[in-house]
Amino acid sequence: MKVFIVVAAFLVTAYAGTNDVCYKNVLRACETTSKNVNGLINCNARYGAIEAVLPDLQTYVNTHITRSFEYLLMATHYGNYEKSREGFEKIFKDLSDSKWEEAIDLIKYITKRGGKMNFAAVREDTVNDNNGSYELYELESLAKALDMEKQLAEEAHRIHGEATRRRKDYHDPEVSSYLEEEFVHKHANIIRKLSGYTSDLNTLLNGPDSSLALYLFDDYLKQHSIV
Amino acid sequence: MKATILILLVVAAFSVSTAQLQCFHRKPDIPTDWIDMVNPCVRKMRDQVQEELKAAIQYLAMGAHFSRDTINRPGFAKLFFEAASEERQHAMKLISYLLMRGELASDVSNLIRKHIEPQTADWKDGVSALKDALKLEASVTRKIHDVIKVCEDPQNAGNNFNDYHLVDYLTGEFLEEQYKGQRDLAGKISNLDKMMDKHAALGEYLFDKKLLSGEI
Repeated sequence: MKVFIVVAAFLVTAYAGTNDVCYKNVLRACETTSKNVNGLINCNARYGAIEAVLPDLQTYVNTHITRSFEYLLMATHYGNYEKSREGFEKIFKDLSDSKWEEAIDLIKYITKRGGKMNFAAVREDTVNDNNGSYELYELESLAKALDMEKQLAEEAHRIHGEATRRRKDYHDPEVSSYLEEEFVHKHANIIRKLSGYTSDLNTLLNGPDSSLALYLFDDYLKQHSIV
Repeated sequence: MKATILILLVVAAFSVSTAQLQCFHRKPDIPTDWIDMVNPCVRKMRDQVQEELKAAIQYLAMGAHFSRDTINRPGFAKLFFEAASEERQHAMKLISYLLMRGELASDVSNLIRKHIEPQTADWKDGVSALKDALKLEASVTRKIHDVIKVCEDPQNAGNNFNDYHLVDYLTGEFLEEQYKGQRDLAGKISNLDKMMDKHAALGEYLFDKKLLSGEI
């Protein structure tokens, strides 16, 4: 029992020792006569492993913005009078909207955890993919979307992995939980739907009238939501 | 694995004679007499899509700045995040219009640049960000004016074509929103500036809370 109390007391002191930097700042700021606006530099929202995952999260935001633009281009292609596929236009527009909303949500999350957004942090392979075309045939566009979603999902897994290492400075259950709730499960749903669509087209385009089959498939997409 | 799937897809796509999947279909034969927009005007409209998205990203950066823990102006952040999504909606409206007129049937892939960086990412205070926002709106308004000029001048637009409908749409929908938005921003700057006259810190704090609750 005594040992427990000693240990507990030690833990409490250790805890206070690592966490009273803001309080010390305040004491100093209130004692000195000269005004110092930067005196509370340690009174911020940073704790846990946010420093370690911040660059990854910033890049993740920018990847979402790029993907949102790419999906918008794919939707635009299906909205032209020659393609005229309202269903495909709708799913790509919905994907574009959700990537945009998620980008904003991620920015809010970064700032919630005391971080700062950096719009220059990009993945070179995402931004400089200049030969990528967005004027695709139906099955091609679904395949591209499936690949992009898997890449986003695996990136979320990687950041999650960074935040789940059981080591000080790298362990942050709040980051892991946020990624799981807001991204990981949603990715699984979208990926399953897209892979289901490619399977459907795989059989439909194999039939005697693939042109009519595509019309009916597009009509189905119109009535269903991907996100 | 991904590479294999891609290769399989490409092989399947290009060897229609051997593979069973029919991925490509003939282009439908549609008369094109109804497509009457002229080139300089279309080019201006396409550029405007990019301009609206640039404004969207600039607003995102403002939202990000005011969301920071050490800045803590959630009202300003809300205003700017909403403005960012509005600008993106404008870009999408322009795209929809072009599609309605039979444009964007080709050359879509280079319509939007994949990475846009904001010009500024830090602001001294709320009022300086609002002033930047007003300047940004004014520059977007000028650019819409430029689109209108090109699209309504038969000489400038080539083919002796005055695009009455587009010009009416840009004037009635876009300029209307621009002018109302600019007046709103100017009013906010005025109020905030006056609130901050004697008590700068308190004025901005109170103004932010009003923005957050949607009172102003």
